[in-house]
Amino acid sequence: MATDREVLRIVWDGQIPAVIHADPEEVDIQQPEDFYLIFPRLSYLPLVSDKVKKYFQKYVNNQQLDAGNIWFDYNGTPLKLHYPIGVLYDLTHREDEGLPWRLTIHFTKFPEDVLVKFSTKDILESHFLSCLKEADVLKHRGQIISAMTKKDHNQLWLGLVNDKFDQFWAVNRRLMESCSSNGNGSDECFKHIPVRLYNEDGTFTQKLISPINETGQRRTLHEMLEEISNTDKQAVAVRTHGVFVHEETPIQWMSEHLSYPDNFLHLHIIYKEI
Amino acid sequence: MSDSPITEEQPPPSLKREESIASSIPEEHPQPQSLSVQPNSKVDILLNATGNVPIMKKRKWAVDANKPISWIMQFIHKYLKLDPEEQVFLYVNQTFAPSPDQIVRNLFECHGTNGKLVLYYCKNQAWG
Repeated sequence: MATDREVLRIVWDGQIPAVIHADPEEVDIQQPEDFYLIFPRLSYLPLVSDKVKKYFQKYVNNQQLDAGNIWFDYNGTPLKLHYPIGVLYDLTHREDEGLPWRLTIHFTKFPEDVLVKFSTKDILESHFLSCLKEADVLKHRGQIISAMTKKDHNQLWLGLVNDKFDQFWAVNRRLMESCSSNGNGSDECFKHIPVRLYNEDGTFTQKLISPINETGQRRTLHEMLEEISNTDKQAVAVRTHGVFVHEETPIQWMSEHLSYPDNFLHLHIIYKEI
Repeated sequence: MSDSPITEEQPPPSLKREESIASSIPEEHPQPQSLSVQPNSKVDILLNATGNVPIMKKRKWAVDANKPISWIMQFIHKYLKLDPEEQVFLYVNQTFAPSPDQIVRNLFECHGTNGKLVLYYCKNQAWG
């Protein structure tokens, strides 16, 4: 049995083996060899693709080489540059395709109607910090993140960019502290759980979800699934970080241990039609 | 505007100052915060100017709940007749900038107050 602290480390170390293929239409003379690499699940595509970019740009005709135009697809599905890689993988990867995860890199024809452009890493950084702020608004009315310094914000971002677990968690643990403002002194929880509930098609829903149920107990994943089910479809299971989460897990515990670095739980919900 | 998903709910107030406009907006739909939005429905948004940006005469709009934030940004850009190179930034409750592809319903569900979603717009980054 892993201790709770070890869970954080296991989640942080999650990786996905991938192979990147060039878009044949963009290649000048000869099709380059595929590029193999390991993605950290918690990172973002623009943060881990510098080497990939450098390798392939020798082969593509360089009329429109602009780092901000680079994007990836899996089986024709463009991958969002501001979703954590693990979320993209869990949503799109088909089991029967096996590993490595086979992506295509594109340097042109950026699909602006479906992807948001992140032309520099600074823009991705402000997106990341916005997610942290939104999460803290839900958890602590934003009081913890707004009391942090610019240096703390930097440390969170650089911890993620440079894959430094201790650096990231030295600051992040403050964001994961509970407050007892729920009127439930004995059991300290967040005000609400920052969570994105993904559908099969990659869209997601956000709702106000309290970590405490009507009887004052910690709300379990099972109870949350019942709450988001409706007359058409029933939520039957939840996958995150590539694993199915046990239904009796309190969602407060999930938020503290299974959130991505942006402080949101990204849950892939499996529905059953009724 | 007839084909626009944003619809006028009231004649635009002729008042000039933002404060007096604010006080003239009737609380039409007092709702509990947790009220769920039905599919294909509209939600009320309140657009507040912040920093050095023109004020919109009409601040309260009913928007299709499935619209992305980028659509509201483009709407403000057009409404204020900004230059093409000028950028619109949007913030929820003066705290965070939602992603351009976030949909209005999700923000309303989590951050709506008194039956509406309060957004602040500006031409420069305000709350990072």
